[in-house]
Amino acid sequence: MYRSATFRFAALVFILQLASAAALIVMIGLSVRQQLNSDARRTVAVLRDDLRASYAGGGVAGLAREVRLRTGALVTPGTVLLLADRDGGRIAGNLDAWPPSVTPGAGSTEVTLYRSGLTAAEAMHVEGMRLRGGERLLVGTIVAGEARAIRMLEQVSGVALPLALMFASLAAWMAARMIVARLEEPLAALNAVAAGDLGARVPDDGSHDALATLGVAINGALERVETLMSELRMATDGLAHDLKSPLTRMRVVLERAATEVREPAAIESIDRALAEADRLFTMVQTALSITRAEAGIGRETFVAVDLAVELAGIAEMYAPVVEDAGRTLALDVPGTLPWVVHRELLAQALGNLIDNSLKYGAGPVTLGLDHTDGQVRVTVADRGPGIPAARHEDALRRFGRLDDARSGTGAGLGLSLAGAVARLHGGGLVLGDAAPGLVVTLNLGG
Amino acid sequence: MANKILLIEDDDATADFVSRGLTEEGFVVDRAANGRDGLFHATDGSYDCIVLDRMLPGIDGMGVLGAVRAAGIETPVIVLSALGAAEDRIHGLTNGADDYLTKPFAFIELLARVRLLIRRGGAGKAVETVLRCGDLEMDLLARRTRRAGKAIDLQPREFRLLEFLLRHADQVVTRTMLLEGVWDYHFDPGTNVIDVHLSRLRKKVDEGFERPLLHTVRGAGYRLGIDP
Repeated sequence: MYRSATFRFAALVFILQLASAAALIVMIGLSVRQQLNSDARRTVAVLRDDLRASYAGGGVAGLAREVRLRTGALVTPGTVLLLADRDGGRIAGNLDAWPPSVTPGAGSTEVTLYRSGLTAAEAMHVEGMRLRGGERLLVGTIVAGEARAIRMLEQVSGVALPLALMFASLAAWMAARMIVARLEEPLAALNAVAAGDLGARVPDDGSHDALATLGVAINGALERVETLMSELRMATDGLAHDLKSPLTRMRVVLERAATEVREPAAIESIDRALAEADRLFTMVQTALSITRAEAGIGRETFVAVDLAVELAGIAEMYAPVVEDAGRTLALDVPGTLPWVVHRELLAQALGNLIDNSLKYGAGPVTLGLDHTDGQVRVTVADRGPGIPAARHEDALRRFGRLDDARSGTGAGLGLSLAGAVARLHGGGLVLGDAAPGLVVTLNLGG
Repeated sequence: MANKILLIEDDDATADFVSRGLTEEGFVVDRAANGRDGLFHATDGSYDCIVLDRMLPGIDGMGVLGAVRAAGIETPVIVLSALGAAEDRIHGLTNGADDYLTKPFAFIELLARVRLLIRRGGAGKAVETVLRCGDLEMDLLARRTRRAGKAIDLQPREFRLLEFLLRHADQVVTRTMLLEGVWDYHFDPGTNVIDVHLSRLRKKVDEGFERPLLHTVRGAGYRLGIDP
């Protein structure tokens, strides 16, 4: 899951979203602090100008009175004032003595001091100056700025961070969902084509983005697949026609000959030639059936049947032949199993497998059917020598016959056809060991 | 009066052979070498059966068939085709063909089917409940079969097989016709599946009776009838 592109994308969105929220909070904090500082500086400047004015008007006494007034209980609580004599001794104000860290005339500075009568040190913004008469004046204001900013940040974070977390999760989820949703249509189109609907395409949403481009590319590929398929269909149809017409003529000539000759030996030869012609025709027909089934042609003729009934019919059809060979054909099917199949090809495939068992197998033949893990499986099993696992691949190859079977009359198409038919139904063919014997499993999809 | 057959086939060798064979069997055969001529003849409407090749120059077989049926002509049509896949067959039959024969075919197969179509076209569609052939009698309602008054015990499939043969008594029915008519399959089952069923049926129907009713027709199939 951690390696999935969707998850990574969602995680990236989440992290970026969270980072941007954090950055926003920090920025707000900083700007609040700066604002508070500049407010303090302005307060100090106003205070300083007021006091200079009273010094100009009333001298030290007037200034002292003003200072006392402004540090009284009724005025702004954040005000810090100290009027001191030349050596720093207090004349008036709410600081006990001139702080050594403040140099008169050096502009404004930030310091931490105790105000008279208070037990906690406070951060303040102060400016010291020397008056014309040599006295010193310290003007300042408590900057609660820092503390307040931190407190505010804490408060804001307490609310905003969970919110940011929530929104980041939401954004990540929505981004991931959007990607998945945008991929849904291409996926649906590809699945439909894989299932045999060759005309399925990715709809154009008109967005011209990367995913739309992907859709166009997929459509191009699907277009090509469909063209190739219809060409294949035409080619097999053409091949069928090209091969069958001469075969028809050949049959016609042989049949004609059979009615014209009287010699028993000649008649026998002609009959053999006719049988060979029919065998050749069956091979051509089967090879074409395999090619078409492998290409997924024929799904349009699927019909809904009860597979249990269908298999019973096939068993009933082949039972006499199997019994004539001194063997038995058993049926192992559930009561009912509705399924959509290519009835004709399925019967032909199973017939071929039963035929194979008659030729190369031994013991009772069992035709089985089951529906487990959502997959429908039809099996043909016998108790003969089976096929060793190492030879399975050879046995499944088209026209591939195992050495001991090469002398027989089979065309080596039975298993190929069964495999093609199973794949046409969305499944596959598996050879297994019935211990002893061979079990051929046709998975008809789920 | 001889039955008239229209053969629409572009391949000269096949047409020649089919037309000669049908003529020898007492039919009057007209041949058209392409779809246009075929359609022209077919709309004449005086034929008892049309044998139509599916792949033709000009208008193809399906086109001819469509035009013939669109013109309201109900003459039975048997389509000959190199296309043998189930879907091609279904396509042919749903487009108005009465039968569909895949190339290469045996002439006897075509002959049997042509005869079947002509008879089916001519006979009334009366619902028969008892089928007979000589002293063999099949009661379709009671699902009972007797020969010379003696009951014959048949499995359901054997019953259908015998019913099919009785419905086509005195006619040659081929193995593929039996496979299509009784089992509803159109592929070559490979081994002698049909023959084994027939030989079992023969045991039940003919064993112990002097005159056999079920005859094997060499190179073609089977025929149920009194005459050997």
